[in-house]
Amino acid sequence: MKVDTGFLESLRLGGEFDARLCMNCGTCTALCPLGLEILPRRLFRHALLGDRERVLGESEAIFSCLLCRLCEANCPAGVHIAENVRSLRVVLNGEARGLAEA
Amino acid sequence: MTGRKIGVVVCQCGGNISDYVDTEKVRAEAAKEGDVVSTQVQMFACSDAAQQAVIQEIREKKLDGIVVCSCSPKLHTATFRAMAERAGLNPYEYTQVNLREQCSWAHTHDRAAATEKGIRLVRAGIAKTALSRPLEKMRVETLPQALVIGAGIAGLRSALALSDLGISVHLIERADRPGGQVRRWGTLFPNDKAGKDLIEDLVRRVHERDNIQLYLGTELVERSGRVGAFSVKVRAPTGDLISLDVGAIVVATGFEPYTPAAGEFGYGLDGVLTLPELKELLAATPGPLVYRGRPVRSIAYVYCVGSRQPAEGGTQRTYCSRYCCSATSHLATVVTGLDPAVHQFHLFRDVRTYGKYEALYERALKGGSVFLRYSEEDLPTVVREDGGLVVRIHDRLLAGEEVEIRPDLVVLVTGMIPRANDDLVRNLKLPIGPDGFFREVHVKLRPVETVVDGVYIVGTAQGPKNVAESVATALASVSKAGALLLKGYVDLDPLVARVDPTLCEWCGECQTACPYGAIDEVEYGDRHIAQVNAVLCKGEGACVPACPKAAISVQGYTNEQITSMIDALAKEVA
Ligand SMILES: Cc1cc2nc3c(=O)[nH]c(=O)nc-3n(C[C@H](O)[C@H](O)[C@H](O)COP(=O)(O)OP(=O)(O)OC[C@H]3O[C@@H](n4cnc5c(N)ncnc54)[C@H](O)[C@@H]3O)c2cc1C
Ligand code: SF4
Ligand code: SF4
Repeated sequence: MKVDTGFLESLRLGGEFDARLCMNCGTCTALCPLGLEILPRRLFRHALLGDRERVLGESEAIFSCLLCRLCEANCPAGVHIAENVRSLRVVLNGEARGLAEA
Repeated sequence: MTGRKIGVVVCQCGGNISDYVDTEKVRAEAAKEGDVVSTQVQMFACSDAAQQAVIQEIREKKLDGIVVCSCSPKLHTATFRAMAERAGLNPYEYTQVNLREQCSWAHTHDRAAATEKGIRLVRAGIAKTALSRPLEKMRVETLPQALVIGAGIAGLRSALALSDLGISVHLIERADRPGGQVRRWGTLFPNDKAGKDLIEDLVRRVHERDNIQLYLGTELVERSGRVGAFSVKVRAPTGDLISLDVGAIVVATGFEPYTPAAGEFGYGLDGVLTLPELKELLAATPGPLVYRGRPVRSIAYVYCVGSRQPAEGGTQRTYCSRYCCSATSHLATVVTGLDPAVHQFHLFRDVRTYGKYEALYERALKGGSVFLRYSEEDLPTVVREDGGLVVRIHDRLLAGEEVEIRPDLVVLVTGMIPRANDDLVRNLKLPIGPDGFFREVHVKLRPVETVVDGVYIVGTAQGPKNVAESVATALASVSKAGALLLKGYVDLDPLVARVDPTLCEWCGECQTACPYGAIDEVEYGDRHIAQVNAVLCKGEGACVPACPKAAISVQGYTNEQITSMIDALAKEVA
């Protein structure tokens, strides 16, 4: 994958996305009642590294999330997982709009 | 039989010895030796009660030699020498035989053989004691003056603290200005003080002191003398030699940043800098980071460059340089402070922002830095492609997937290496560790002392350290030097080499063999002979086998003593 700093900037602008403290332990993945494997840790890593294609490619998972916060309540690093998922939705919406306009 | 009156104490060490060695049999056999007039077995020879019993025996039987057969001499030589002294015996008429580490603990499977070996070891100890002579400690004067070599932060701080104690200081610095590396770095972790300000404050205080003399552009060229009274010569920039007399020497000669080889992580390519280069760039440019006229939007740091290398080859750089994880995390926060939009990628092996510096790592993370881990077996690469820098790394958190970064700058986080100082090493006879830094006597208990008494190593000359650690060792050396110099004298062990002037024909072999420079050539009548500087001699005996005339021996371990010990060990065998 290639780091896309432009995408990193749109993540920043998109809102509150902040997964820097994620240490990739996988607690969230293990707890997810929907069994969303990519969420949140893999996805967060892709986002942190500015992997635009991969993040956009996971829109289904991003929009399936129930925002139940089971993972967030148990995250040892205190990552605001639900907030992050929400801001990823904002970014995805923005990108989709951009595509439609283009 | 020599007519000596020797006492033997066999210790059981509460079973540590007596479980595997028949201590009563050892005692009985010892009693049969010619010069032995008293024997006893003790449960714990080192206990107060046992020592009291032995002291009484020494006095009553008027013993002139004592052998304690117990544990390693490393543990209790001082204890039993003091006991002998309290009993009125010369402490060097005491011999320790190691029945524990070298006998019972080594042969737990065979009591008979262990006992047999114990008997032989004790016989050897008795034989050595029979030929012992009373020796006196050497009391020598110390001068309340010190030489500090190197005026980096460690040397400056040592000088001020020595001066506080009333010890006059000659502070010599090879460069033409004081301050060492710290002056170059701009803002320092952990408290954002500028290195230059720290240094200038110390230098101002040094200049205010009447009892500190700072010599710039000056190096040590010669050292002689001994602990408490060294004579040194230093060369001033004019070429003049200045002679100084000092009681102690503090070596604060620092480190050098590692310079990567051409091509190492792209070093040499436009836009690839070392951490020192970036620190200097930042210190020189106010405002957001600009490189070659272009604003810097993204940086990739490659950690551990030159540190933590595989153990192959000559000098080993297996060590962690300690300062760099903290310095780089801190630097990232400085960069973010100047322009929060700069993207920063840290390619690390392990994050070692130990202790309180962990806060720096967290600050860097929160500031937006992204950390990617690499392993020693799979290094990141740095190349130039299509007019830009490209860094590739296999991200462990993405199961080894290749991540490609195109940063404006690549910063190689270079470690510390020892400074080249061959002349100094030769002049001071400083021991060097396998990593090339100066070596202390004991890593835990004597961290600033060297095998050369009165010569201390501080700061990064001893090994990688940050400023706080460098200063801590600088102050430690001041407490050691203060204890030595303010008392006014020092008592030295007399177990040193001695030359028989009637046998010596001065060939210089002993001088070549001596690692401490303790042998001088002197005139003796119309001849030249070797003379041992008893204060420099460590009594290790490298000179003894080197002498073709058997003219040199170590007191307390003479050739006769060693030969008689071998005879006693091999009795009935040979
Ligand atoms: C890029 C970088 C950034 C750093 N940032 C920080 C930081 O932010 N915070 C922190 O705590 N630490 C930091 N450090 C570590 C810090 O630089 C060292 O801890 C400190 O410099 C050690 O001081 P020193 O006196 O031991 O050695 P040095 O600074 O190397 O000083 C040694 C002095 O001895 C002199 N000298 C050498 N040989 C002789 C000789 N034969 N005769 C006379 N003089 C001699 C030298 O000229 C020099 O002036 C950093 C290091 C690097 C490389
Ligand atoms: S539980 Fe928290 S720290 Fe662990 S992987 Fe998930 S988001 Fe990251
Ligand atoms: S402090 Fe960090 S960068 Fe420096 S050598 Fe140690 S682990 Fe590597």
